[in-house]
Amino acid sequence: MDWVFLSELAINGALTGLLYSLFAIGLVLIYKASSVPNLAQGGLTMVGAYVVLALARDVGLPLWLAIPLAAVVMFGLGFGIERVALRRLAGRPVVMILMLTLGLDIFLRGTTLAIWGGTSRSMELGVSYDPLFLGDIFISRIHLVGAGVALALFVAFMLFFRTRTGIKLRAIADDYMASWSVGISVERGVGLSWALASVVAVAAGVIWGEIQGVDQALSLLLLKGLTVAVLGGLDSILGAVIAGIILGVVENVGADFLDPLVGGGSRELIVAAVLILTVMIRPHGLFGRHDIERV
Amino acid sequence: MQEKVEAQNILSMNSVEVLYDNVILAIKGVSVQVPKGEMIALLGSNGAGKSTTLKAISGLLKAERGRISRGEITFQGADITEALAQKRVEMGICHVIEGRRVFEHLTPDENLTAAAPRGMSRSTLNAEKDKIYAYFPRLAERKNSQAGYLSGGEQQMLAIGRALVTQPKLLMLDEPSLGLAPFLVEEIFGILQKINKDEGLSVLLVEQNALAALEIVSQGYLIENGRVVMHGTAEALKSNSDIQEFYLGGGETDFHNVKHYSRRKRWLS
Ligand SMILES: Nc1ncnc2c1ncn2[C@@H]1O[C@H](COP(=O)(O)OP(=O)(O)O)[C@@H](O)[C@H]1O
Ligand SMILES: [Mg+2]
Repeated sequence: MDWVFLSELAINGALTGLLYSLFAIGLVLIYKASSVPNLAQGGLTMVGAYVVLALARDVGLPLWLAIPLAAVVMFGLGFGIERVALRRLAGRPVVMILMLTLGLDIFLRGTTLAIWGGTSRSMELGVSYDPLFLGDIFISRIHLVGAGVALALFVAFMLFFRTRTGIKLRAIADDYMASWSVGISVERGVGLSWALASVVAVAAGVIWGEIQGVDQALSLLLLKGLTVAVLGGLDSILGAVIAGIILGVVENVGADFLDPLVGGGSRELIVAAVLILTVMIRPHGLFGRHDIERV
Repeated sequence: MQEKVEAQNILSMNSVEVLYDNVILAIKGVSVQVPKGEMIALLGSNGAGKSTTLKAISGLLKAERGRISRGEITFQGADITEALAQKRVEMGICHVIEGRRVFEHLTPDENLTAAAPRGMSRSTLNAEKDKIYAYFPRLAERKNSQAGYLSGGEQQMLAIGRALVTQPKLLMLDEPSLGLAPFLVEEIFGILQKINKDEGLSVLLVEQNALAALEIVSQGYLIENGRVVMHGTAEALKSNSDIQEFYLGGGETDFHNVKHYSRRKRWLS
């Protein structure tokens, strides 16, 4: 057994996993407020990356300015989605809202295709690809940066949910009717959660765009992001972070063992197994809340 | 004369009719007046239309696809028939909804924070909280535990406290005594009475437990099948034979002071 190699697999797996978490945090934010997994989170992530590129390449702004500006644009887009589409669905079955997010994802993919075409563009963040060694272990710098961003966002949201606005959002997640009864604007709260998820999508879009290029394939991150969110419990940001690390490590280490046996493709199988087993064995995930039994 | 009466009523609901889903007529011309600073009870059996009446006043009907199809509601003289629920809370109407729906995954303290009106300063909020904890010492003891694990009585206290944070002028409660032990009902009603006295808060109390409600209110309305069928002082209602028979489990007749409406047979309505 080569322990150095195994640690390298585990550490890089954990870093990749945190990049899944980065994506999944957006899913959790919307799930908390709307009780639906947002199937358009992949689309939003892709759009986030495209908006950054549009501001950086097409307008010519430096990246340090283009990224926050894109965050502002996406914040507005998130609010707009609630205003234009979701509000009309208030009171309808949750599955209709789910279908709406699916439609939105397809719409966003089509829109980016129409505007920017399907050729992959590069983000060019300027993060060095020189190897970074931790002892004997090789670590990817961009993954390290992305993992740092994911953890920073995690901390920021933990703090945010202790603020008055954050508490109101959690109240909305708990009970719409009770929220209305004390004058909380549920609509604004849901809009805010979409806006925040769209900002998270910019962060995920920049990091993942740097890693795999910016094209419509970015929206497929939804599959792993959703797996992580479900494993974490869908409504827990801490769950999303820990589940991301778990999935990343299991995937990376597992694939190394299984790939020689099945001849490749075992990553997808591992992700599928995690998702299916979670739903069957522990449907509320690692940190998802059960509904409290009434005393 | 009419104007003077209007001015004394903080809430006036005139011949209000409510439709759910555009077809289900849940209340059929209900008129209820709440004089400023008084406690009023709305009595009646299950399905009579009590909750619908409160939702019409608080604006929560909209969330259940209901709407006011006739009549009008005025609060402190202003027409609020079409106002948004959020606006009504800002104006001073707060509705403690049925089933003590506290925010279960929040602590009691966070439940109170969540209800803070926009723009309320931190110091005002803390002062409000202190006042609420003084009224409900049990809540103060458990303010940092998870609200979902509080006992039924504590949750009801929290639901009331949460409503008080919005600084209401009219507090409406939907069956706060439901499922609570008699000593708790007495405790909570006692506190309501105290708040009413101390702060001049007007209260509209919906109850099936007429016996307990009539002990603390000045007047009561009896609703049946979506209509007000009786209205009188608490004393008069308590001694009314129908009330005694159906809601209090008593016997003797005294029509004194009770304004009788025609009690329609169910098959007519
Ligand atoms: N959301 C709703 N949709 C349709 N009908 C409703 C709804 N809520 C109440 N109703 C109907 O309106 C009538 C009055 O109900 P409600 O106001 O809840 O009575 P109460 O509170 O006195 O028990 C009942 O016949 C009930 O079935
Ligand atoms: Mg009711």
